[in-house]
Amino acid sequence: MIRSKKAQVEVTFNWVYILIAGAVILLFFAGIIVKQKVASEESLDQEVIRIMENIFTAAQVSENTKTTIDISGLRDYTLYFSCEEGVSKYGLSGKSLPVEDSINPIFAPNEIKATQLLTWSVPYKLPFKVIDFLFVTSTTNKYVLWGNNEISAGFIHSVSNVSAANDKSKINFNVVQVQDLAEIQPAQNVQIRIIDGEGRIKEGDPILPLLMERMKNIPDKSLTAVSFQGGGSSRIANFFVKEKEVWKKLNKEPIRIVSLGGDNDAALYGAIFSGDDQIYICNMKKSFTRLGYLNEVYGGEELTAGKEGGKLREMIAYYKNRPELTLTSECLNYITLNPQDNLQTSLQSHQNKVAECLTRFTAKELPPECIGLVDSALKVKTANDNLAERGDCITLY
Amino acid sequence: MRLRNKKGQLHLTETIAVLFIFFVLIVFGLIFYFKYQQYSLKEEQEQLVISNAIRTTSKVLFLPELQCSKGAAEPEDNCIDLMKVRHVAEVFDRHLTDYYYPIFGYSKIVINQIYPEQKEWVIYDHPKPIYANETIIPLESTYFTLTLKDESLGGENIHYSFGYIQVGVYP
Repeated sequence: MIRSKKAQVEVTFNWVYILIAGAVILLFFAGIIVKQKVASEESLDQEVIRIMENIFTAAQVSENTKTTIDISGLRDYTLYFSCEEGVSKYGLSGKSLPVEDSINPIFAPNEIKATQLLTWSVPYKLPFKVIDFLFVTSTTNKYVLWGNNEISAGFIHSVSNVSAANDKSKINFNVVQVQDLAEIQPAQNVQIRIIDGEGRIKEGDPILPLLMERMKNIPDKSLTAVSFQGGGSSRIANFFVKEKEVWKKLNKEPIRIVSLGGDNDAALYGAIFSGDDQIYICNMKKSFTRLGYLNEVYGGEELTAGKEGGKLREMIAYYKNRPELTLTSECLNYITLNPQDNLQTSLQSHQNKVAECLTRFTAKELPPECIGLVDSALKVKTANDNLAERGDCITLY
Repeated sequence: MRLRNKKGQLHLTETIAVLFIFFVLIVFGLIFYFKYQQYSLKEEQEQLVISNAIRTTSKVLFLPELQCSKGAAEPEDNCIDLMKVRHVAEVFDRHLTDYYYPIFGYSKIVINQIYPEQKEWVIYDHPKPIYANETIIPLESTYFTLTLKDESLGGENIHYSFGYIQVGVYP
Protein backbone atom coordinates (compact mmCIF):
# COMPACT_ATOMS: atom_id res chain seq x y z
CA MET A 1 0.00 0.00 0.00
CA ILE A 2 2.84 2.30 0.94
CA ARG A 3 4.68 1.39 -2.25
CA SER A 4 1.58 2.21 -4.35
CA LYS A 5 1.39 5.71 -2.87
CA LYS A 6 5.10 6.20 -3.54
CA ALA A 7 4.61 5.16 -7.15
CA GLN A 8 1.71 7.59 -7.52
CA VAL A 9 3.91 10.44 -6.21
CA GLU A 10 6.69 9.47 -8.61
CA VAL A 11 4.34 9.37 -11.63
CA THR A 12 2.75 12.74 -10.69
CA PHE A 13 6.21 14.25 -10.16
CA ASN A 14 7.31 13.05 -13.60
CA TRP A 15 4.29 14.63 -15.24
CA VAL A 16 4.78 17.92 -13.38
CA TYR A 17 8.42 17.84 -14.38
CA ILE A 18 7.51 17.22 -18.02
CA LEU A 19 4.89 19.97 -17.95
CA ILE A 20 7.28 22.52 -16.47
CA ALA A 21 10.08 21.58 -18.87
CA GLY A 22 7.62 21.69 -21.79
CA ALA A 23 6.34 25.10 -20.72
CA VAL A 24 9.89 26.43 -20.40
CA ILE A 25 10.81 25.14 -23.86
CA LEU A 26 7.59 26.51 -25.31
CA LEU A 27 8.21 29.91 -23.69
CA PHE A 28 11.76 29.94 -24.99
CA PHE A 29 10.67 29.38 -28.57
CA ALA A 30 7.70 31.71 -28.21
CA GLY A 31 10.14 34.39 -27.01
CA ILE A 32 12.35 33.85 -30.05
CA ILE A 33 9.34 34.05 -32.38
CA VAL A 34 8.09 37.29 -30.78
CA LYS A 35 11.57 38.80 -30.95
CA GLN A 36 11.92 37.75 -34.56
CA LYS A 37 8.53 39.23 -35.41
CA VAL A 38 9.48 42.60 -33.88
CA ALA A 39 12.89 42.51 -35.59
CA SER A 40 11.41 41.66 -38.98
CA GLU A 41 8.78 44.41 -38.65
CA GLU A 42 11.52 46.90 -37.81
CA SER A 43 13.62 45.63 -40.66
CA LEU A 44 10.63 45.92 -43.01
CA ASP A 45 10.11 49.55 -41.95
CA GLN A 46 13.77 50.29 -42.55
CA GLU A 47 13.69 48.47 -45.86
CA VAL A 48 10.68 50.52 -46.96
CA ILE A 49 12.45 53.73 -45.94
CA ARG A 50 15.63 52.67 -47.74
CA ILE A 51 13.68 51.82 -50.88
CA MET A 52 11.90 55.18 -50.69
CA GLU A 53 15.26 56.91 -50.40
CA ASN A 54 16.53 55.04 -53.46
CA ILE A 55 13.36 55.81 -55.41
CA PHE A 56 13.59 59.49 -54.58
CA THR A 57 17.27 59.62 -55.51
CA ALA A 58 16.55 57.96 -58.84
CA ALA A 59 13.52 60.16 -59.47
CA GLN A 60 15.44 63.30 -58.63
CA VAL A 61 18.39 62.72 -60.90
CA SER A 62 16.19 61.92 -63.89
CA GLU A 63 15.53 65.44 -65.05
CA ASN A 64 12.05 66.35 -66.25
CA THR A 65 10.69 62.91 -65.54
CA LYS A 66 7.44 61.82 -64.03
CA THR A 67 7.26 58.44 -62.35
CA THR A 68 4.49 56.34 -60.88
CA ILE A 69 5.43 54.10 -57.97
CA ASP A 70 3.13 51.37 -56.79
CA ILE A 71 2.92 51.50 -53.02
CA SER A 72 -0.16 49.33 -52.60
CA GLY A 73 1.77 47.32 -50.02
CA LEU A 74 1.81 50.44 -47.85
CA ARG A 75 -1.87 51.23 -48.22
CA ASP A 76 -2.39 50.96 -44.45
CA TYR A 77 0.46 53.31 -43.66
CA THR A 78 0.69 57.07 -43.87
CA LEU A 79 3.79 58.61 -45.39
CA TYR A 80 4.70 61.94 -43.87
CA PHE A 81 6.91 64.74 -45.15
CA SER A 82 8.27 67.77 -43.37
CA CYS A 83 11.13 70.23 -43.69
CA GLU A 84 12.56 72.19 -40.78
CA GLU A 85 15.83 74.01 -40.27
CA GLY A 86 16.97 73.07 -43.77
CA VAL A 87 16.41 69.34 -43.31
CA SER A 88 13.64 67.39 -45.05
CA LYS A 89 12.28 64.41 -43.19
CA TYR A 90 10.08 61.68 -44.57
CA GLY A 91 9.03 58.27 -43.43
CA LEU A 92 6.18 56.07 -42.27
CA SER A 93 4.03 57.75 -39.66
CA GLY A 94 4.47 56.17 -36.22
CA LYS A 95 7.12 53.76 -37.45
CA SER A 96 10.89 53.78 -37.69
CA LEU A 97 13.12 56.84 -37.77
CA PRO A 98 12.60 59.05 -40.83
CA VAL A 99 15.03 59.67 -43.66
CA GLU A 100 16.72 63.04 -43.29
CA ASP A 101 17.86 64.98 -46.33
CA SER A 102 19.59 68.33 -46.06
CA ILE A 103 20.52 68.56 -49.74
CA ASN A 104 17.69 67.63 -52.09
CA PRO A 105 14.57 69.77 -52.24
CA ILE A 106 11.50 67.54 -51.87
CA PHE A 107 8.19 69.33 -52.24
CA ALA A 108 5.35 67.18 -50.97
CA PRO A 109 2.11 67.27 -49.02
CA ASN A 110 2.45 66.80 -45.25
CA GLU A 111 0.88 63.36 -45.52
CA ILE A 112 0.24 60.79 -48.23
CA LYS A 113 -1.99 57.75 -47.88
CA ALA A 114 -2.42 56.06 -51.20
CA THR A 115 -1.62 53.08 -53.35
CA GLN A 116 0.29 55.06 -55.98
CA LEU A 117 3.00 57.60 -55.43
CA LEU A 118 3.69 60.13 -58.17
CA THR A 119 7.03 61.85 -58.50
CA TRP A 120 8.08 64.58 -60.86
CA SER A 121 11.55 65.99 -61.20
CA VAL A 122 11.93 69.53 -62.56
CA PRO A 123 15.23 71.40 -62.85
CA TYR A 124 15.49 74.71 -61.03
CA LYS A 125 17.44 77.17 -63.15
CA LEU A 126 18.78 80.52 -61.94
CA PRO A 127 19.88 81.03 -64.75
CA PHE A 128 21.92 77.82 -65.01
CA LYS A 129 20.64 74.57 -63.56
CA VAL A 130 21.00 74.68 -59.80
CA ILE A 131 19.34 71.48 -58.65
CA ASP A 132 16.42 69.22 -59.52
CA PHE A 133 13.28 69.82 -57.53
CA LEU A 134 11.43 66.63 -56.70
CA PHE A 135 7.67 66.92 -56.45
CA VAL A 136 6.05 64.04 -54.62
CA THR A 137 2.31 63.48 -54.52
CA SER A 138 -0.20 60.68 -54.92
CA THR A 139 -3.36 59.75 -56.72
CA THR A 140 -5.40 60.62 -53.62
CA ASN A 141 -4.02 64.16 -53.42
CA LYS A 142 -6.32 66.24 -55.56
CA TYR A 143 -5.16 69.56 -57.07
CA VAL A 144 -7.97 71.95 -57.88
CA LEU A 145 -7.07 74.80 -60.22
CA TRP A 146 -9.45 77.65 -59.54
CA GLY A 147 -10.30 79.81 -62.54
CA ASN A 148 -8.84 80.44 -65.96
CA ASN A 149 -5.51 82.10 -65.49
CA GLU A 150 -1.87 81.88 -66.50
CA ILE A 151 -0.97 79.52 -63.64
CA SER A 152 -3.88 77.12 -64.26
CA ALA A 153 -3.14 76.95 -67.98
CA GLY A 154 0.58 76.44 -67.48
CA PHE A 155 0.16 73.81 -64.78
CA ILE A 156 -2.38 71.78 -66.75
CA HIS A 157 -0.11 71.91 -69.79
CA SER A 158 2.89 70.79 -67.73
CA VAL A 159 1.23 67.90 -65.90
CA SER A 160 -0.41 66.58 -69.01
CA ASN A 161 2.75 66.92 -71.09
CA VAL A 162 3.90 63.53 -69.97
CA SER A 163 7.40 62.26 -70.43
CA ALA A 164 7.09 59.31 -68.17
CA ALA A 165 10.03 57.16 -67.17
CA ASN A 166 7.83 54.09 -66.99
CA ASP A 167 4.34 53.37 -68.25
CA LYS A 168 2.95 56.54 -69.85
CA SER A 169 -0.65 55.48 -69.57
CA LYS A 170 -0.47 55.22 -65.81
CA ILE A 171 0.79 58.73 -65.10
CA ASN A 172 -2.25 60.28 -63.61
CA PHE A 173 -1.87 63.49 -61.68
CA ASN A 174 -5.10 64.18 -59.90
CA VAL A 175 -5.75 67.66 -61.30
CA VAL A 176 -9.05 69.35 -62.11
CA GLN A 177 -9.91 72.87 -63.17
CA VAL A 178 -13.02 74.56 -61.76
CA GLN A 179 -14.59 77.95 -62.23
CA ASP A 180 -16.41 77.80 -58.91
CA LEU A 181 -15.25 76.11 -55.70
CA ALA A 182 -18.75 74.62 -55.36
CA GLU A 183 -17.77 72.25 -58.17
CA ILE A 184 -15.24 70.47 -55.94
CA GLN A 185 -16.16 66.88 -55.17
CA PRO A 186 -13.94 65.34 -52.46
CA ALA A 187 -14.86 61.76 -53.54
CA GLN A 188 -12.19 59.30 -52.36
CA ASN A 189 -9.43 61.89 -52.13
CA VAL A 190 -7.54 62.11 -48.87
CA GLN A 191 -6.34 65.67 -49.39
CA ILE A 192 -7.47 68.57 -51.53
CA ARG A 193 -5.22 71.48 -52.49
CA ILE A 194 -6.84 74.52 -54.09
CA ILE A 195 -4.60 76.53 -56.41
CA ASP A 196 -5.80 80.07 -56.60
CA GLY A 197 -3.93 81.81 -59.38
CA GLU A 198 -5.71 85.13 -58.89
CA GLY A 199 -5.16 85.78 -55.18
CA ARG A 200 -8.84 85.47 -54.28
CA ILE A 201 -8.44 83.55 -51.02
CA LYS A 202 -7.78 85.80 -48.01
CA GLU A 203 -7.09 85.20 -44.33
CA GLY A 204 -10.33 84.63 -42.40
CA ASP A 205 -12.46 84.26 -45.54
CA PRO A 206 -15.36 81.85 -44.93
CA ILE A 207 -15.22 78.56 -46.77
CA LEU A 208 -18.13 78.01 -49.10
CA PRO A 209 -21.00 76.34 -47.11
CA LEU A 210 -21.59 73.79 -49.88
CA LEU A 211 -17.91 72.83 -49.82
CA MET A 212 -18.03 72.69 -46.01
CA GLU A 213 -20.96 70.29 -46.23
CA ARG A 214 -19.07 68.05 -48.68
CA MET A 215 -15.91 68.19 -46.60
CA LYS A 216 -17.59 67.48 -43.25
CA ASN A 217 -16.01 64.03 -42.93
CA ILE A 218 -12.54 65.22 -43.87
CA PRO A 219 -10.20 66.68 -41.24
CA ASP A 220 -9.40 70.41 -41.44
CA LYS A 221 -5.76 69.87 -42.40
CA SER A 222 -6.83 67.95 -45.49
CA LEU A 223 -8.21 71.03 -47.22
CA THR A 224 -5.42 73.46 -48.06
CA ALA A 225 -4.88 76.24 -50.55
CA VAL A 226 -2.07 78.18 -52.13
CA SER A 227 -2.92 81.59 -53.44
CA PHE A 228 -0.73 83.48 -55.90
CA GLN A 229 -0.72 87.20 -56.57
CA GLY A 230 1.19 89.21 -59.16
CA GLY A 231 3.35 87.91 -61.93
CA GLY A 232 6.95 87.64 -63.03
CA SER A 233 9.49 88.51 -60.36
CA SER A 234 6.81 90.17 -58.20
CA ARG A 235 4.74 86.99 -57.83
CA ILE A 236 3.99 86.08 -54.23
CA ALA A 237 2.39 83.04 -52.63
CA ASN A 238 0.29 82.60 -49.49
CA PHE A 239 -0.48 79.24 -47.93
CA PHE A 240 -3.84 78.50 -46.29
CA VAL A 241 -5.43 75.67 -44.37
CA LYS A 242 -9.06 75.12 -43.43
CA GLU A 243 -9.72 75.99 -39.80
CA LYS A 244 -13.29 75.16 -38.86
CA GLU A 245 -15.27 77.33 -41.29
CA VAL A 246 -12.63 79.80 -42.45
CA TRP A 247 -9.29 79.96 -44.23
CA LYS A 248 -6.28 80.34 -41.92
CA LYS A 249 -3.13 81.82 -43.43
CA LEU A 250 -0.01 79.86 -42.51
CA ASN A 251 2.76 82.26 -43.52
CA LYS A 252 3.17 85.63 -41.76
CA GLU A 253 4.81 87.44 -44.67
CA PRO A 254 3.97 86.81 -48.33
CA ILE A 255 6.41 84.35 -49.88
CA ARG A 256 8.17 85.59 -53.01
CA ILE A 257 8.57 83.17 -55.88
CA VAL A 258 12.22 83.40 -56.94
CA SER A 259 11.97 82.26 -60.53
CA LEU A 260 12.83 83.23 -64.07
CA GLY A 261 9.43 81.92 -65.23
CA GLY A 262 8.99 79.94 -68.42
CA ASP A 263 7.58 76.44 -68.92
CA ASN A 264 7.78 74.02 -66.01
CA ASP A 265 8.45 76.81 -63.54
CA ALA A 266 10.06 74.77 -60.74
CA ALA A 267 9.83 77.45 -58.03
CA LEU A 268 6.15 78.08 -58.79
CA TYR A 269 5.21 74.40 -58.94
CA GLY A 270 7.18 73.81 -55.74
CA ALA A 271 4.64 76.04 -53.97
CA ILE A 272 1.77 74.06 -55.50
CA PHE A 273 3.13 70.73 -54.29
CA SER A 274 4.30 71.92 -50.84
CA GLY A 275 2.05 70.88 -47.99
CA ASP A 276 2.69 74.15 -46.17
CA ASP A 277 4.82 77.29 -46.16
CA GLN A 278 7.61 75.65 -44.12
CA ILE A 279 8.18 72.86 -46.62
CA TYR A 280 8.44 75.47 -49.38
CA ILE A 281 10.72 77.93 -47.59
CA CYS A 282 13.01 75.24 -46.22
CA ASN A 283 13.46 73.60 -49.63
CA MET A 284 14.07 76.93 -51.36
CA LYS A 285 16.84 77.62 -48.87
CA LYS A 286 18.50 74.35 -49.89
CA SER A 287 18.51 75.46 -53.53
CA PHE A 288 19.97 78.91 -52.76
CA THR A 289 22.75 77.27 -50.76
CA ARG A 290 23.55 75.05 -53.75
CA LEU A 291 23.44 78.08 -56.05
CA GLY A 292 26.20 79.68 -53.97
CA TYR A 293 28.43 76.62 -54.41
CA LEU A 294 27.74 76.47 -58.14
CA ASN A 295 28.71 80.11 -58.45
CA GLU A 296 32.02 79.13 -56.85
CA VAL A 297 32.56 76.43 -59.48
CA TYR A 298 31.81 78.93 -62.23
CA GLY A 299 33.50 82.00 -60.77
CA GLY A 300 35.79 80.90 -57.95
CA GLU A 301 35.82 81.40 -54.20
CA GLU A 302 36.96 85.00 -54.30
CA LEU A 303 34.48 86.09 -56.91
CA THR A 304 32.77 88.46 -54.48
CA ALA A 305 36.10 90.20 -53.91
CA GLY A 306 36.40 90.82 -57.66
CA LYS A 307 38.99 88.09 -58.25
CA GLU A 308 37.94 85.62 -60.89
CA GLY A 309 38.46 81.88 -60.48
CA GLY A 310 36.83 78.62 -61.54
CA LYS A 311 35.63 78.19 -65.10
CA LEU A 312 35.52 81.94 -65.62
CA ARG A 313 39.29 82.24 -65.07
CA GLU A 314 39.90 79.51 -67.65
CA MET A 315 37.68 81.30 -70.15
CA ILE A 316 39.58 84.57 -69.67
CA ALA A 317 42.97 82.80 -69.85
CA TYR A 318 41.90 80.96 -73.01
CA TYR A 319 41.20 84.16 -74.95
CA LYS A 320 44.10 86.14 -73.47
CA ASN A 321 46.53 83.41 -74.50
CA ARG A 322 45.13 83.25 -78.02
CA PRO A 323 45.17 86.77 -79.45
CA GLU A 324 45.34 85.29 -82.94
CA LEU A 325 41.75 84.00 -82.75
CA THR A 326 39.35 86.18 -84.70
CA LEU A 327 36.79 86.18 -81.91
CA THR A 328 39.17 86.90 -79.04
CA SER A 329 38.53 90.59 -78.53
CA GLU A 330 34.78 90.28 -78.89
CA CYS A 331 34.62 87.32 -76.50
CA LEU A 332 36.80 89.07 -73.95
CA ASN A 333 34.51 92.05 -74.14
CA TYR A 334 31.51 89.93 -73.24
CA ILE A 335 33.41 88.07 -70.53
CA THR A 336 35.21 90.81 -68.72
CA LEU A 337 36.02 94.01 -70.61
CA ASN A 338 32.62 95.55 -71.29
CA PRO A 339 32.17 98.33 -68.76
CA GLN A 340 28.79 97.06 -67.67
CA ASP A 341 26.98 93.75 -67.50
CA ASN A 342 29.89 91.62 -68.58
CA LEU A 343 29.89 88.02 -67.43
CA GLN A 344 32.34 88.57 -64.61
CA THR A 345 30.51 91.48 -62.97
CA SER A 346 27.15 89.78 -63.48
CA LEU A 347 28.37 86.58 -61.82
CA GLN A 348 29.95 88.58 -59.02
CA SER A 349 26.70 90.43 -58.41
CA HIS A 350 24.82 87.10 -58.52
CA GLN A 351 27.07 85.63 -55.85
CA ASN A 352 26.67 88.77 -53.70
CA LYS A 353 22.90 88.40 -53.94
CA VAL A 354 23.12 84.75 -52.88
CA ALA A 355 25.15 85.75 -49.83
CA GLU A 356 22.71 88.54 -49.00
CA CYS A 357 19.71 86.21 -49.36
CA LEU A 358 21.22 83.43 -47.24
CA THR A 359 22.42 85.79 -44.51
CA ARG A 360 18.93 87.10 -43.96
CA PHE A 361 17.21 83.75 -44.26
CA THR A 362 15.34 82.62 -41.18
CA ALA A 363 13.77 79.24 -40.51
CA LYS A 364 10.30 80.70 -40.96
CA GLU A 365 10.67 83.33 -43.66
CA LEU A 366 12.05 83.69 -47.15
CA PRO A 367 13.62 87.19 -47.01
CA PRO A 368 12.64 89.80 -49.63
CA GLU A 369 16.36 90.16 -50.46
CA CYS A 370 16.21 86.79 -52.23
CA ILE A 371 14.11 88.27 -55.00
CA GLY A 372 17.24 90.17 -56.05
CA LEU A 373 18.47 86.83 -57.36
CA VAL A 374 16.06 87.09 -60.28
CA ASP A 375 17.64 90.29 -61.61
CA SER A 376 21.19 89.09 -61.07
CA ALA A 377 20.36 85.75 -62.74
CA LEU A 378 18.89 87.59 -65.73
CA LYS A 379 22.12 89.59 -66.09
CA VAL A 380 24.21 86.39 -66.04
CA LYS A 381 21.84 84.94 -68.61
CA THR A 382 22.14 87.98 -70.88
CA ALA A 383 25.94 87.89 -70.66
CA ASN A 384 25.97 84.16 -71.41
CA ASP A 385 23.53 84.58 -74.31
CA ASN A 386 25.76 87.33 -75.71
CA LEU A 387 28.71 84.96 -75.62
CA ALA A 388 26.78 82.19 -77.32
CA GLU A 389 24.66 84.02 -79.87
CA ARG A 390 26.54 87.21 -80.70
CA GLY A 391 30.10 86.19 -80.07
CA ASP A 392 30.10 82.43 -80.76
CA CYS A 393 32.45 82.23 -77.77
CA ILE A 394 32.92 79.70 -74.98
CA THR A 395 29.93 80.04 -72.70
CA LEU A 396 29.83 79.85 -68.93
CA TYR A 397 27.00 77.31 -68.89
CA MET B 1 17.56 -1.11 -0.16
CA ARG B 2 20.79 -1.20 -2.16
CA LEU B 3 18.81 -2.31 -5.24
CA ARG B 4 16.39 0.65 -4.90
CA ASN B 5 19.31 3.03 -4.45
CA LYS B 6 20.98 1.75 -7.61
CA LYS B 7 17.69 2.09 -9.50
CA GLY B 8 17.37 5.68 -8.28
CA GLN B 9 20.93 6.47 -9.34
CA LEU B 10 20.31 4.97 -12.78
CA HIS B 11 17.16 7.07 -13.14
CA LEU B 12 19.04 10.24 -12.16
CA THR B 13 21.85 9.54 -14.62
CA GLU B 14 19.29 8.99 -17.33
CA THR B 15 17.60 12.32 -16.57
CA ILE B 16 20.95 14.12 -16.56
CA ALA B 17 21.86 12.51 -19.91
CA VAL B 18 18.54 13.60 -21.41
CA LEU B 19 19.02 17.12 -20.09
CA PHE B 20 22.59 17.20 -21.37
CA ILE B 21 21.54 16.14 -24.85
CA PHE B 22 18.69 18.62 -24.76
CA PHE B 23 21.01 21.51 -23.86
CA VAL B 24 23.59 20.39 -26.42
CA LEU B 25 20.85 20.56 -29.05
CA ILE B 26 19.77 24.00 -27.83
CA VAL B 27 23.38 25.24 -27.94
CA PHE B 28 23.80 23.83 -31.45
CA GLY B 29 20.59 25.53 -32.48
CA LEU B 30 21.71 28.85 -31.03
CA ILE B 31 25.15 28.64 -32.63
CA PHE B 32 23.56 27.87 -35.99
CA TYR B 33 21.07 30.71 -35.56
CA PHE B 34 23.69 33.31 -34.61
CA LYS B 35 26.06 32.19 -37.38
CA TYR B 36 23.22 32.53 -39.86
CA GLN B 37 22.36 35.97 -38.46
CA GLN B 38 26.00 37.03 -38.72
CA TYR B 39 26.19 35.84 -42.30
CA SER B 40 22.97 37.55 -43.35
CA LEU B 41 24.08 40.77 -41.61
CA LYS B 42 27.35 40.70 -43.52
CA GLU B 43 25.49 40.08 -46.75
CA GLU B 44 23.11 42.93 -45.99
CA GLN B 45 26.05 45.23 -45.29
CA GLU B 46 27.62 44.29 -48.63
CA GLN B 47 24.30 44.97 -50.36
CA LEU B 48 24.12 48.37 -48.66
CA VAL B 49 27.65 49.27 -49.80
CA ILE B 50 26.83 48.26 -53.39
CA SER B 51 23.53 50.14 -53.39
CA ASN B 52 25.31 53.14 -51.88
CA ALA B 53 27.92 53.02 -54.65
CA ILE B 54 25.22 52.90 -57.34
CA ARG B 55 23.27 55.72 -55.68
CA THR B 56 26.40 57.88 -55.43
CA THR B 57 27.25 57.18 -59.09
CA SER B 58 23.82 58.29 -60.28
CA LYS B 59 24.09 61.43 -58.19
CA VAL B 60 27.54 62.25 -59.58
CA LEU B 61 26.49 61.73 -63.19
CA PHE B 62 23.78 64.35 -62.88
CA LEU B 63 25.62 66.91 -60.77
CA PRO B 64 25.20 70.41 -62.20
CA GLU B 65 28.72 71.08 -60.89
CA LEU B 66 30.03 68.65 -63.53
CA GLN B 67 27.46 68.29 -66.31
CA CYS B 68 27.98 69.72 -69.79
CA SER B 69 25.37 72.34 -70.51
CA LYS B 70 24.56 74.66 -73.35
CA GLY B 71 22.45 77.61 -72.24
CA ALA B 72 18.80 76.79 -71.68
CA ALA B 73 19.03 73.49 -73.57
CA GLU B 74 18.88 70.15 -71.77
CA PRO B 75 22.27 69.06 -70.40
CA GLU B 76 24.26 66.70 -72.61
CA ASP B 77 23.81 63.11 -71.45
CA ASN B 78 26.80 61.37 -69.86
CA CYS B 79 29.02 64.34 -70.55
CA ILE B 80 31.27 66.13 -68.09
CA ASP B 81 32.70 69.60 -68.54
CA LEU B 82 36.43 69.51 -67.82
CA MET B 83 36.55 73.28 -67.38
CA LYS B 84 34.37 72.74 -64.31
CA VAL B 85 36.08 69.52 -63.23
CA ARG B 86 39.41 71.28 -62.77
CA HIS B 87 37.87 73.54 -60.12
CA VAL B 88 35.20 71.41 -58.55
CA ALA B 89 37.54 69.56 -56.19
CA GLU B 90 38.35 72.83 -54.39
CA VAL B 91 34.66 73.58 -53.94
CA PHE B 92 33.90 70.04 -52.72
CA ASP B 93 36.80 70.27 -50.31
CA ARG B 94 35.84 73.71 -49.01
CA HIS B 95 32.28 72.66 -48.28
CA LEU B 96 32.93 69.04 -47.45
CA THR B 97 31.46 68.73 -43.99
CA ASP B 98 28.62 71.20 -44.37
CA TYR B 99 27.40 70.13 -47.78
CA TYR B 100 29.10 67.54 -49.96
CA TYR B 101 29.72 64.82 -47.38
CA PRO B 102 25.97 64.08 -47.09
CA ILE B 103 25.88 63.65 -50.89
CA PHE B 104 28.94 61.46 -51.44
CA GLY B 105 29.63 60.07 -47.97
CA TYR B 106 32.80 58.07 -47.52
CA SER B 107 33.83 57.69 -51.13
CA LYS B 108 36.38 58.48 -53.77
CA ILE B 109 35.37 59.95 -57.12
CA VAL B 110 37.86 59.91 -59.95
CA ILE B 111 37.36 61.10 -63.50
CA ASN B 112 39.65 59.32 -65.94
CA GLN B 113 40.37 60.39 -69.48
CA ILE B 114 41.55 57.49 -71.62
CA TYR B 115 41.53 58.96 -75.12
CA PRO B 116 43.31 60.84 -76.73
CA GLU B 117 45.63 60.84 -73.73
CA GLN B 118 45.43 59.40 -70.25
CA LYS B 119 44.69 61.79 -67.43
CA GLU B 120 42.88 61.60 -64.13
CA TRP B 121 41.23 64.02 -61.76
CA VAL B 122 40.38 63.04 -58.21
CA ILE B 123 37.49 65.31 -57.48
CA TYR B 124 36.47 63.87 -54.12
CA ASP B 125 38.20 61.60 -51.65
CA HIS B 126 36.94 61.15 -48.14
CA PRO B 127 37.94 57.83 -46.56
CA LYS B 128 36.56 56.60 -43.26
CA PRO B 129 38.67 57.71 -40.28
CA ILE B 130 39.41 54.03 -39.48
CA TYR B 131 41.58 53.91 -42.62
CA ALA B 132 43.72 56.87 -41.50
CA ASN B 133 46.86 54.77 -41.06
CA GLU B 134 46.21 52.29 -43.86
CA THR B 135 48.17 52.33 -47.09
CA ILE B 136 45.83 50.09 -49.07
CA ILE B 137 42.20 51.03 -48.54
CA PRO B 138 39.44 48.77 -49.89
CA LEU B 139 36.98 50.39 -52.31
CA GLU B 140 33.68 49.13 -53.72
CA SER B 141 33.81 50.78 -57.13
CA THR B 142 31.37 51.33 -59.96
CA TYR B 143 32.41 52.63 -63.37
CA PHE B 144 30.58 54.60 -65.99
CA THR B 145 31.78 55.68 -69.42
CA LEU B 146 31.70 59.38 -70.20
CA THR B 147 32.28 62.00 -72.81
CA LEU B 148 34.59 64.72 -71.55
CA LYS B 149 34.15 68.18 -72.99
CA ASP B 150 36.95 70.72 -72.86
CA GLU B 151 36.27 73.95 -74.72
CA SER B 152 39.63 75.38 -73.76
CA LEU B 153 41.50 72.89 -75.97
CA GLY B 154 39.77 72.92 -79.25
CA GLY B 155 40.68 76.19 -80.91
CA GLU B 156 37.42 77.39 -82.38
CA ASN B 157 35.86 73.92 -82.16
CA ILE B 158 34.70 72.17 -79.03
CA HIS B 159 37.09 69.43 -77.99
CA TYR B 160 35.63 66.14 -76.80
CA SER B 161 37.54 63.24 -75.29
CA PHE B 162 36.57 59.86 -73.96
CA GLY B 163 36.86 58.52 -70.43
CA TYR B 164 35.10 57.07 -67.46
CA ILE B 165 34.13 57.94 -63.95
CA GLN B 166 35.04 55.71 -61.05
CA VAL B 167 32.93 56.07 -57.94
CA GLY B 168 34.37 54.06 -55.10
CA VAL B 169 32.64 53.68 -51.76
CA TYR B 170 34.71 52.93 -48.67
CA PRO B 171 33.09 49.90 -47.00
